[in-house]
Amino acid sequence: MNKRKSVSFNAARIWEKIKTPAVVLALLILWELCVRIFKIKEYILPSPIVVLQHLFLKQPDANYNWLIHIRITLTELGISFAITSALGILIAIVLAWSSTLKKIFMPVFVFLNSLPIVAIAPLLVLWFGYGLKTNILIAFLVSFFPIVINTTVGLTEIDEDLLDLVKYLNGTKLQIFLKLRIPNSLPYIFAGLKISSTMCVVGAIVGEFIASDKGLGFIIIASQYTMDSPPIFASLILVSVFGVALFGIVAALERMCMPWYFRVRERG
Amino acid sequence: MGKRIFSILAVSFLILAGLTGLSAETTKINFLLNWTISGDHAPYYVAMDKGWFKEEGLDVNVMIGQGSGFSVQMVDAGKAQIGISDAPVPIEARAKGAKIKIVGIIFDKHPNCMFFWKDSGIKVPQDIKGKTVAVPASDGHKVMWPAFAKMIGLKPDDVKFINIDPTAKPAALGTRKADVVFELYTGKPFMEKAVPADQLGYILWADYGFNAYAHSYIANEDFMKNNPEALRKFLKVSYRAWQYTLNNIPEAITILSKYHPINRDDFVANLTAVKEFFKTDRYKNYGIGYIDPARMQDTIDIVKEKGVQMNPDPKYYYTSEFLPSPPYKFDF
Repeated sequence: MNKRKSVSFNAARIWEKIKTPAVVLALLILWELCVRIFKIKEYILPSPIVVLQHLFLKQPDANYNWLIHIRITLTELGISFAITSALGILIAIVLAWSSTLKKIFMPVFVFLNSLPIVAIAPLLVLWFGYGLKTNILIAFLVSFFPIVINTTVGLTEIDEDLLDLVKYLNGTKLQIFLKLRIPNSLPYIFAGLKISSTMCVVGAIVGEFIASDKGLGFIIIASQYTMDSPPIFASLILVSVFGVALFGIVAALERMCMPWYFRVRERG
Repeated sequence: MGKRIFSILAVSFLILAGLTGLSAETTKINFLLNWTISGDHAPYYVAMDKGWFKEEGLDVNVMIGQGSGFSVQMVDAGKAQIGISDAPVPIEARAKGAKIKIVGIIFDKHPNCMFFWKDSGIKVPQDIKGKTVAVPASDGHKVMWPAFAKMIGLKPDDVKFINIDPTAKPAALGTRKADVVFELYTGKPFMEKAVPADQLGYILWADYGFNAYAHSYIANEDFMKNNPEALRKFLKVSYRAWQYTLNNIPEAITILSKYHPINRDDFVANLTAVKEFFKTDRYKNYGIGYIDPARMQDTIDIVKEKGVQMNPDPKYYYTSEFLPSPPYKFDF
């Protein structure tokens, strides 16, 4: 009786560990079967095996140089996410510090965020030139807004009683900021960073569509021209892996920066 | 002693020669393509790979394009000195004040084309009356359709247009979302991925009197004035590379694939289709890139018919003075 219990307990633990890869694998197998059973043409939907072959094996009819393109996309992603996080948080702090500045600039940021980036990207190339820096700018424009909004909320939505208490104890504006507002905003900042991390990936790829001769976005657009679908899907897989990885890094940082938050949550 | 003076003289001469050699600096050129990489961009990579640009003292940076309108804007703004564009677009822009001119032709025959399923019963271009035509809103075909429609005796709104993304053209025809797709003849190998080759019908506009120029080199006016030699050398190398590419298609595509992630078989098919537009008596006799004044006038007239205020002097829009001499002829 005891033994059986531990076996089922083990099985549950193993399932807990492998459930995500197992579901992914099952979806891949389903995809492969669909392509084979319905004889779907390659340009409409290539099979996952063909896609993975394009990613990992040397192709007789093309030379994809994945590493070069991966390096470029990762560089754009790294730089743009670093700039987005730093600037986004800084902007939010300024806006939370001064309600006048907030009134003036918030509409500007809303305006910037509502611009359809695909429509203005060619103009950005015209203004700022061709290549890496414009791609980074595009990624920034796509992804900075969630950080600004979330951080501003985190900095301003403080428990009124707590605020009154610190004021009663003659706390300065700076002290309130450092001891109260910033710690309070951390969960909001990380929520914003998580959204921005995935949007940064989208921005970098859109930038490569418009103004680049390197990067995964360029592989996608160049392969679209010849309706060569396997490298498009291979690039998409890489792009999504990067997105998940960046998201994972932010989540790990979150645990490191606010252990108390998770302790409370786990207890609760 | 005499020997010593001689050797000092010799050494100083060598140093001087070295210095002047250094001062003969390279000219940097930003060259903007018309679109993302396709087979007809192979010549520039052939020239790069074989060191032909370098030989002429040119440092050419090839940039991926976004269509003719974008090329015109970038060259006008000086972000690129030379670019590729559909001829009517820079002519219209020039009429409206852009500082650019056409300096050489790429395709001698116009590549505008319409594709359809053979079972649709279309035999001549007039048969598309009443059909649904898929074409992107900013596509050159759409811009030039009114002129072509008039030429074949149709009214521009005799067809029903649906707007699609450029990359969705083959799929739109393959799934019969549209009866007809307007696409360059050079896209035929990709259309054949969506529609079986023996069921794919096509009509070239050029075979029904559409005489205008298409893909052309445009240059920034300041660059023409300040670096005429660099422009001349660029065109010389480019047309030399065109001649070489057309005669060595598989090699040219292999070179292109060193620089870009392309499918070689697809691109060889694409460039072989491109070759058709160079097989003309004009390119055979006067060389690749030759600008025929009468055909340029036809191209200008297409823009004029749109109601644009035009400068009466055709030379306001183009110049032949930078074309290579002797020319690179194409004997097919």
